[in-house]
Amino acid sequence: MQKKIRFKMPLFLKIIPVLVTAGLLLLPFPAAATQLHASSEGIITHQVGHLFFLFSMVALLFTITGKGLNTQRGWRLIQYSAFFFILWNLDALAAHFLDNQIYAVTIENISLGQIRVNVQNGSSFLAGVYYLLKLDHLLCVPAMLFLYKGLSHLVTKQQQMMTKKDRP
Amino acid sequence: MIVSFIPILAVDVAGSVAMVVIALLCLYKAKVLRGMDPDNAVFLYLLWISTGFTIFAVSRSFGHILRQFLILTSNADAWHAITSYSGSVNTVSFMLVGLITLFFNQSWHINEKILASRKKLEDTHIKLMDLNQTLEHKVVARTEMLTSSEHKARRIFEQSLDTIVVTDERFNIAEINQAGVTLTGYKKREMLEKKMGLKDFMAKDLEWERIQGLLEVDEYILNEETDFFLPNFSQVRVLMTGGVDYGAFGCGKTFHFIIKNINDKKQMEQQIAQADKLAALGELSAGVAHEINNPLGIILGYTQLMLKEDSGFEADLKIIEKHVKNCKTVVSDLLAFSRKGSLKKSRVDVTTIIDGVIKFLANHTDFRNVEIGMDHFCKTPLVISGNEQELAQVIINLLINACHAVEKKGRIEIETRQTTDHKILITVKDNGTGIRKKYFSRIFDPFFTTKPVGQGTGLGLSVGYGIIRSHGGDITARNRETKGAAFTISLPLVPMDPV
Repeated sequence: MQKKIRFKMPLFLKIIPVLVTAGLLLLPFPAAATQLHASSEGIITHQVGHLFFLFSMVALLFTITGKGLNTQRGWRLIQYSAFFFILWNLDALAAHFLDNQIYAVTIENISLGQIRVNVQNGSSFLAGVYYLLKLDHLLCVPAMLFLYKGLSHLVTKQQQMMTKKDRP
Repeated sequence: MIVSFIPILAVDVAGSVAMVVIALLCLYKAKVLRGMDPDNAVFLYLLWISTGFTIFAVSRSFGHILRQFLILTSNADAWHAITSYSGSVNTVSFMLVGLITLFFNQSWHINEKILASRKKLEDTHIKLMDLNQTLEHKVVARTEMLTSSEHKARRIFEQSLDTIVVTDERFNIAEINQAGVTLTGYKKREMLEKKMGLKDFMAKDLEWERIQGLLEVDEYILNEETDFFLPNFSQVRVLMTGGVDYGAFGCGKTFHFIIKNINDKKQMEQQIAQADKLAALGELSAGVAHEINNPLGIILGYTQLMLKEDSGFEADLKIIEKHVKNCKTVVSDLLAFSRKGSLKKSRVDVTTIIDGVIKFLANHTDFRNVEIGMDHFCKTPLVISGNEQELAQVIINLLINACHAVEKKGRIEIETRQTTDHKILITVKDNGTGIRKKYFSRIFDPFFTTKPVGQGTGLGLSVGYGIIRSHGGDITARNRETKGAAFTISLPLVPMDPV
C-alpha cells in the first residue's frame, strides 16, 4: 500500500502572500477608489454587447445543429432566427463602428424627407452601404418572425404528442 | 450624399412596432408551450429567451420610435439628453438575451436528465404496478389457499371419528372435537369452563404420570394404550398419540392429541382369542372323547354281559355300569362341544322350542320360586335351520345356569327378536349375582365351573357354545347394567317359504 506523502510548507513561505497583500494595501500611494471613465466607453460596451449577442446566437445555431434538432422544423426555424440575429448584430456592429466609433459617417437632416450622409473620405459607396446598414429592421424583424414561427411549430407538435399520448 | 429619409423612417417605425408585436406573440407561444409541460426545462428556457427578446424589443423599439419622434419634432437636443440611457437599456437587454441563450445547452442537459428520470420513474411505476398487481393476485391466491386449508383442517377436526384434543402447556383442554365429547361423555362447554385436563379422564393416576413423563422427555407419545374413566363410572380403552406444538406468531406452547377408542377392537380381539381357544379345546376334546369312547363301550358291554350272569358281584357291577354311563355322557357332551355330532337339521321355530323348554322346566322343583318372563318382539315365526333337541338343550342349560345365579329365587327373562341383518337374537337375562369380570374369558371353557365340586361338570356352557357354533351362530355373555347377567344367542334366520 502506497503511503501518501504530504508536502509541508515552511512557515516563511506561508507568510509571503500575507506580506505582499499587506504591502500593497499599506504602501504610501494616493488612494484610487473609483476610476474615471471616458465617454467612448459607452459605445465600446454597446459593441461588446453586440458581439456577445452575436456569439450567443452563433452558439445557439451550432448547438441546435450539434444536437440534431435541425431535423425538426420548429428548431430549424429557431436556427434561422439565430442566423438572422447574427446578421443583424453584424449590421449593427458595422453601423455603430462607422458612425459612433470612428465617426466616418455622419447624418444631417436637410428636410423632413431628406438626409445628407457625410462620409469623411467622400466615398459614395460607403455612404450607400451605411444607408443600407441603417435599414437593420429588415434583419431583426424576420429574426423575430422566425422565432415566433418556430415556437408556434413546437406548440403544434407538443399538442400532437399530447393527443397521441392521451389516445388509448 | 443626399438620400431619402422616408425608407429609413418607415422601416424603423414599422419594424419597431412589428418587433414588439412579434416578441409579445413569441412570449405568448412560449407560455403556452410551458403550460403544456411545466417540467420541461427546454420550454422554460424558451420562455426565458422570449421574455428576454420581449424586453429587448420593447426597449429598442421604444428608443427608436422616441428618437424619430424627437428628431422629427426638432427636439434633437432632448434625444441627445436621453440617448445614453436608451442605448444602455438596449445594451443590457440584448446582453440579457445573449446570456440566456448561452444556457441552452445546460437547459437541454437538465431536460434530458428530467426526461430520463421521468422515464425511469414511469418504468419503475409500471414495474411497481405490475408487482403490486402480482402481489394482489398472490395475496388473493394465498388467502384462498389458506381459507381452503383452514376449512379442510376444520373439517378434519370436526368430522374426525377419533378424538382430537388441543391442550395448553398444563394439559388443560383448550379445544376438543365432537368425537371427544362423545367419548368422554362431558359437554364441551363444561370441559372448558371447568378447565378440565387430560388427567381428569385417566382411570389411573400412575398411567397419567407415565404419559406426562414421556411427553416432558420426548415431547411426543405414540400409540400409548390407557383407560379413560367415564362419568357413568365405566371405563373405555383408548390409544393416545400426541405431541407438542410451540406455535407461531407469539402463540403459546400447546399439546395436540389424537385419542382413539379401541374398546370394541379390544373386545373383538378377546372374542377372537376366546373362539380360537375354544376351537383348540374342541379339537383336543374330540380326540380325547374318541379315544375314551371306545374303551368305555367295551367296559360297558362287558359289565352288562356280566350282569346277565349270576356272579355274586351284581352290586359292584351296577356301580361300574352307572359310572361308565356317566363317563359316556361326559364324552358325549365333549363330542357335542367339539361339534362332532351328526344330528340332522331341519326347519325349526325358535319360539316354539323356547315355549316347550319353559313348559318343561316350569314343573321342575328348582324353578318353583323363579319367575320366567317371555318377550317375543317379533310376531312372525323365527325359523332357523337346526336340530330341535340340541337347541332345546342349549336353552335348558342357560335357564339352569340362570336359575342357579338367582339362587332359585328370582326372575329370568327370555327375549327373542329379529335383526335387520337376518339374524335372530335369543337373550336369557337374570337378576342374579352376575359374572365376575375375571371369569369372562373362561366361562365357555370345558369343565370350568364356579359351582361346588359334584354339583356341575362345567360342560353346560361349552356344550351350548359348540351347538350354537355348529348352527352357524354365536353366543356371548355380559353383565347387565342393572343386576345379573345376560347370555345372547345369535342364529342365522331362514327365509319363510313363499305361501
